Amino acid sequence: MSITADQQPRTMLGAAEAPAVKRSRPRDDLTAYLMIAPMVILLGIFVMWPLVYAFYLSGFEISFYQAPEFVGLQFYRYVLEDERFWASLGVGLYYAVLVVPAGMFVSLLIASFIKTLSVRMASFLKTTIYVPAVVSTVVASVLFVFIYQDQGLANWLLGLLNAGPVAWLNSPALALPAIAVPGIWLGLGLTTLIMLAGLLDIPDSYYESARLDGASFVQRTWYITLPLLKNVLLYLFVTGTVAALQMLDLPLIMTNGGPVNATTTPNLFIFNTFRDGSEYSVSFSLTAALLLFLVLGGISALVFRLISSEKAIDG
Amino acid sequence: MFSKRSRRAIGVAAAVVTAFGLAACGNGGSQAADGRVHVTFWQQKFEDYQQAWFKENVEAFNASQDEITVDLQVVPADTWEQKLQAAQAAGKQPDVATTNYGSIKPGVAEGKFAPLDELLPAEAFDDVKENVAPFVTVDDQHYAYPMLVEPSTVLYYRTDLAKEAGLDPDSPPETWDELLEWSKALTKGDVKGMTVASTAADLSWSSWGLQLNACGYLPIADDWSAGRATEPCFADLANFYKELYQEGLIPQQPKVAYADGQPYGEGEVAMMQGGSWVVGQLKNDFPDVVDKTMVAPFPSIDGDLTKTTATLGGWTLTLDSKSEAPEEAARFIEYLLAGDPEIMAGFFKETGYSKYTVRDSVDEVLADDPEASADPFMAVISDEIVPYGQAEPAYPYDIAMALGTALESAMKGTTDVDGALQTADDAINDVIDKQKLAGAATD
Repeated sequence: MSITADQQPRTMLGAAEAPAVKRSRPRDDLTAYLMIAPMVILLGIFVMWPLVYAFYLSGFEISFYQAPEFVGLQFYRYVLEDERFWASLGVGLYYAVLVVPAGMFVSLLIASFIKTLSVRMASFLKTTIYVPAVVSTVVASVLFVFIYQDQGLANWLLGLLNAGPVAWLNSPALALPAIAVPGIWLGLGLTTLIMLAGLLDIPDSYYESARLDGASFVQRTWYITLPLLKNVLLYLFVTGTVAALQMLDLPLIMTNGGPVNATTTPNLFIFNTFRDGSEYSVSFSLTAALLLFLVLGGISALVFRLISSEKAIDG
Repeated sequence: MFSKRSRRAIGVAAAVVTAFGLAACGNGGSQAADGRVHVTFWQQKFEDYQQAWFKENVEAFNASQDEITVDLQVVPADTWEQKLQAAQAAGKQPDVATTNYGSIKPGVAEGKFAPLDELLPAEAFDDVKENVAPFVTVDDQHYAYPMLVEPSTVLYYRTDLAKEAGLDPDSPPETWDELLEWSKALTKGDVKGMTVASTAADLSWSSWGLQLNACGYLPIADDWSAGRATEPCFADLANFYKELYQEGLIPQQPKVAYADGQPYGEGEVAMMQGGSWVVGQLKNDFPDVVDKTMVAPFPSIDGDLTKTTATLGGWTLTLDSKSEAPEEAARFIEYLLAGDPEIMAGFFKETGYSKYTVRDSVDEVLADDPEASADPFMAVISDEIVPYGQAEPAYPYDIAMALGTALESAMKGTTDVDGALQTADDAINDVIDKQKLAGAATD
């Protein structure tokens, strides 16, 4: 069955519902183009052209001293055959699993708590919770390296329980979870504030009605808060996952990807390959970066598609 | 057609693009705005006293004549490669750079360095020791001027702690088994008996000497046609490292990289595998420990101390093949490394005699220095370690990393020794295949 002429536009967002757009005058068009021109030019110079050029270069074995040799898609094959590339993607996904849900859960708890406070206390707590967001990742990394040392705070606490010491950053099983802790801590401020803004957007009358019906805190959270926060949660999930997959600084400073590559995230793998110093490594890391771009783009596109399908969920 | 306004807009856009383009280009190469030719020199950051020495001597060179100005830039070691690669990509690479021996032959194959033979007098190369000259020579041409050699592996041990543990400091361990026994005896409380590298990045190069000790060769065939990491001798090496780590005889979480002797200087370990350069660090930063320290050749797998335990690493100055001022840059290299031997003798004095000269004429100056000849560390290292040292391998670093990862994997128990070495062998063969190494050996 074919779609009729008047059905088709209704499925296309905006086209059917929006009033018919009047054809704008050329002068308005020009103004609009001029307004967006600076950004388009900057994006063109610093984003689009480098990206196109990078794809072009990925067809060569690059040399800064000799004529580059055209090798076609050879380096794509090399990267896709490299177990370390896939292992790094696995590490990135594992890191995202450790950081994103835990970070969102803790942020939701804190945001819910802040919402119940007086304006003055809430303002104080909002400032406090945002502090980690302005701490440099480098500073946080060094701080947590001290915490995880043999005689550090973490092992001192374990010592109180007659346990440890544990080689937090030198044990293949523990290193990534140990790095995830500062990862969560650093992201807490921004996530909590966005979550709090979402919570404040939910009308109090919903909660009042629920309370009158005898709903508990858990029921109010499950049936009111979470469904109405769905778009905020999805946004935080997408941005958090993409950021986690792109994590570089924490493992670079805290473990340099070790032990036994247990914390080699995709970006760190590319970075370490790049600084190998050989011509081969330049082409390889460039191609790996482009493939990672495609992976991240795919994940983002997938989740954004989910978001747009739930577009009208807000009450 | 474009309207007048459109043309104006396009003109503005073109101006913006041009401005950005020009800003991105900048200026490059040597310049003579002040009437002098400028030569850029990147020095990798080493111990603090080295930065002071380089700065002082660059200033002395600049003051010694009025034609050339050397612009010294100190670059931290952990950012060196990416900074250099970015500069090469942008055509902003330095004229002169510190380069280690292992990077010279691969660099020559990639066309990075200019030969120095026509730029420096022949006697400058005649002065270089015979066993060092091959490190910088490809097809009878010299692509770097060597500065120093430093063995990568020396055994340092605390005499006071050895006596307390009932060990004789005058008879240090000579086999790996004896070293393990000493490590067990010296591990008490928070003090570990020993420290060695325990991360893949450090193990990849610091174990070269011990690979040669255990096997007599490195984990790739001499002609680079196939891997040989699964040979049983590499399993012996992996088990040695594994026992040190898993028995808790070395720090479980190293605070610093292998090259840094800080844990030994601060008394956290009783023995240390370290490069000869740590002598300089101890003398400068931990003078109290020096009197309680002795050095010895690192134990050998079978007690034969004439077997290699250390590679002879070290640094050179190279001239970039794209330098726009090769003659001026070569004049600076000659002044600093190949000219007046007193300059380099001064350097070795600053190092606390923890590094070794590569020139006969500098040796002669040092022989007249009573402080140098009386140094107990220098005598052991130069007489008992350096003569048996071998050059660092010239193969791509991926191969060193493959074995380093296998050793770390065995130490931390992520897989058994045989599995770890098989993975390394597969990785080495993969590198040989993809980087077309078969038959490309330059050693």
